[in-house]
Amino acid sequence: MIRFTNVSKTYKNGTMALKDVNLEIQDGEFVFIVGSSGAGKSTLIKMLLHEEVPTSGEVEVNGFKLSKMRRRQIPKFRRSLGVVFQDFRLIPTMNVYDNVAFALRVTDVPTRDIRRRVPYILSLVGLGSKARCMPDQLSGGEQQRVALARALVNNPRLIIADEPTGNIDPELSYEIVDLLNEINNVGTTVIMVTHEHDLVAQFNRRVLTLEHGHIIADDQEWRQ
Amino acid sequence: MRGSSLGYLFKEGARNVWVNRLMSLASIGVLIACMLLIGSSVLLSVNMNNVVGYVEDQNEVVIVLEDDMDQSELDELDDELHDIENINNIVFVSKEEAFQNEKDKLGDAAELLREDDNFYPNTYRIKIDDLEFLDETVDEIGRLFGVEDVKAPTDIAETLTSVKKLVITMGMGIVALLIGVTLIIIANTIKITVFNRRKEISIMKYVGATDLFIKLPFMIEGLILGLISAIMAYFILWGGYSYLLSWLEENPSTWIQSMYGSILPFKEIGLKLFGGFALGGTGLGVIGSMIFVRNYLKV
Repeated sequence: MIRFTNVSKTYKNGTMALKDVNLEIQDGEFVFIVGSSGAGKSTLIKMLLHEEVPTSGEVEVNGFKLSKMRRRQIPKFRRSLGVVFQDFRLIPTMNVYDNVAFALRVTDVPTRDIRRRVPYILSLVGLGSKARCMPDQLSGGEQQRVALARALVNNPRLIIADEPTGNIDPELSYEIVDLLNEINNVGTTVIMVTHEHDLVAQFNRRVLTLEHGHIIADDQEWRQ
Repeated sequence: MRGSSLGYLFKEGARNVWVNRLMSLASIGVLIACMLLIGSSVLLSVNMNNVVGYVEDQNEVVIVLEDDMDQSELDELDDELHDIENINNIVFVSKEEAFQNEKDKLGDAAELLREDDNFYPNTYRIKIDDLEFLDETVDEIGRLFGVEDVKAPTDIAETLTSVKKLVITMGMGIVALLIGVTLIIIANTIKITVFNRRKEISIMKYVGATDLFIKLPFMIEGLILGLISAIMAYFILWGGYSYLLSWLEENPSTWIQSMYGSILPFKEIGLKLFGGFALGGTGLGVIGSMIFVRNYLKV
């Protein structure tokens, strides 16, 4: 479960990115977060990843209370979730297989489990034949699916996708969200930030709308 | 950490050397250049020191004894002389030997010397260990019973002592300076390497890698680069030094020849140099990586 309690964030330069946000997302939900640039979407995601800590208030994710978390616990916390970024963030010097396997290696998974798990996940995202390719040999959509495979590989309870379709062709965007949708159907919580309203409209899901650091709408079902 | 994970991290470190081969090459180049500079300075100053030591060894102090000593007095003086520190190569030259030597030297004119009128004194020829304490040693000898005069090269000794001091301080100063410069250059090289890969580091953090998991391959990489550089610098220095020695051998000028024996063979100092290179190179690589990677771990 994710719970924001009276969360505010003011950056050092004085920007107030979030103002007294209260929010609860149950396990197994699929939530879109929409809003124009500067609305506070990125800050919200950064809070979820413990990249930033709130100036006041408390963020709780997967049972971790993030503002009081020790530095040593951060790796353990991050392994409980999977992240997908707009710019993919694949390690350019590793091939597809190693990029996905890396997420397992950091958790000290035995090699024979890695050998079993990685091909399975890659075939799940439709990249079984590209395991030995380097990231720069893939299209944007393929790279994002590798990133998704990496996010999924250690069975996280929560997937956070920060504008996952921002850098790929519109016709491929649907595929990515559809994949997220399927992942959600087997019980994983998915939070996806986007500003593509058309895409949101195609999936009948909960939508949070942010503006100037406030949640101005929380629609359980959303149609354009 | 599991054994297979450790193995993976070692392999990653080795792989990174190859994947970032341009940067690796640059680092190795910088390291080798620094090691060569330091190594040549060490070799130069050690040899200078040796040559000065050789010249120092050429010193000879002559002790002139009084003429009217009997054998027991001579024996006593001999014992006392052997008790004095800072001297070696104590050689006694008796009146008779001195006479004979002189006679041999004179050749035809030797007839002028008469056996019954041997005016040559008994003498000792000795060498001084450390010229810095020449005056004290000469004083000590002069106070012994039966010593008439001590003839010592005081002026040369002073010059040599100060030359030696200069060589040692300058050699140490230059080496220290070079080590300082090396540290700065290598720190910067590592900084650039790590900076180039800051994105990679942050991705690893997002996936939940611990700091050690990220740092270890970098440290292995530093270790490998340091070791490769040490080995290469060692062989280059060896080759260069041997070449120089053989050149000296083929082109002898009198003054070089006279001190040829005091130039150190490479094998006497090479291993120590290599040890220094390997330890310094790998240590710098490992510690440097550790310090600079940490800057990018705070995500």
